[in-house]
Amino acid sequence: MSQSERIARLLARHGLELARHLRRMVRDEDTAQDLLQDTMLRAHRALARLAPGANERAWLYRIATNVALNHLRARSRERRALERHAAESDNHAPPGWDGDAPDRRAKLWNGIAALPERQRVAITLRLADELEYDDIAERMGCSADAARANVYQATKRLKLEVR
Amino acid sequence: MREADERRADERMVLGVFNALTARSGAPLQYALMTDTPVGPIGLARGEGGLCRLDFTRDEDAFLTRLLDRFGDRPLLRQPAKLDAVRRQLDRYFSGRSLRFEVDVDLSAISGFSRRILEATARIPAGRVLTYTEVAAKAGSPRASRAAGNALHNNPVAIIVPCHRIVASSGLGGYGGGIENKKWLLRHEGVAT
Repeated sequence: MSQSERIARLLARHGLELARHLRRMVRDEDTAQDLLQDTMLRAHRALARLAPGANERAWLYRIATNVALNHLRARSRERRALERHAAESDNHAPPGWDGDAPDRRAKLWNGIAALPERQRVAITLRLADELEYDDIAERMGCSADAARANVYQATKRLKLEVR
Repeated sequence: MREADERRADERMVLGVFNALTARSGAPLQYALMTDTPVGPIGLARGEGGLCRLDFTRDEDAFLTRLLDRFGDRPLLRQPAKLDAVRRQLDRYFSGRSLRFEVDVDLSAISGFSRRILEATARIPAGRVLTYTEVAAKAGSPRASRAAGNALHNNPVAIIVPCHRIVASSGLGGYGGGIENKKWLLRHEGVAT
């Protein structure tokens, strides 16, 4: 199978929901499209290492989340993306997510990026995508209780770090 | 952002990446799978012109392989909601509540005699069958029964263009979706097999 066909398969099956996930994270369509492209290229390079029968969707969410977090961290010096984010974000978020000083928000993204992978994906789906625990679980290939526990642990650690 | 605007933004992004990484820059096709039917899994695909594929298939992977192969320049998007109307009609058909379909079918990729065969087939009501010779005659070439068989074998929209209603003069004849499925469909429509 050619590279182009493998990527077409991934895009056909998962492209739309990954597009939304990335757009919700970076709040900019053009940037999100670049990140979706990057996600697909990374996924394609790593595809050989994906175990047969593994949850392809959960795996792609992990790659996309990492790609977006790397981007946001790189941008945090400029702070532009974070300021836009703060202006639009919701209010049941941990400290630093909403309305705080830009250096605290940058700290939050850095904190999220440093979390264990499952916590990182779970908290991002909760905060950026505003998903319920059932939907987070479905995308991560785990139970709703596990999704809730991951978000809880992530929030706890972030509260310590973004004080 | 309204949900409809969000969906359009998602689509623009995915089509942009299709274009950049796969050179698939044509009009997109939406597809969906029905996994739980009496005739096994069914793959559906539609574009702007209407339904362009209804395949008996093994699973999503197999269906995607066929779509990627058949529509080399078109991006594909799994969008079950865009096929809801067709899926509802198929559910009604399989449950026996209605054996009629009102679905826009896109046969524009097929021309000439093959197209006339499929159009003649589409007019056969449930409960009736024609032989290959009879359908060839309706398409204007009574002696072209073998060519009629080929056209029906390549029917892109099974069940809805009911190629299962064409039988051999002695016996059922073949069926791309498997002879057991042909039997099931005909019996379901009240034809003795």
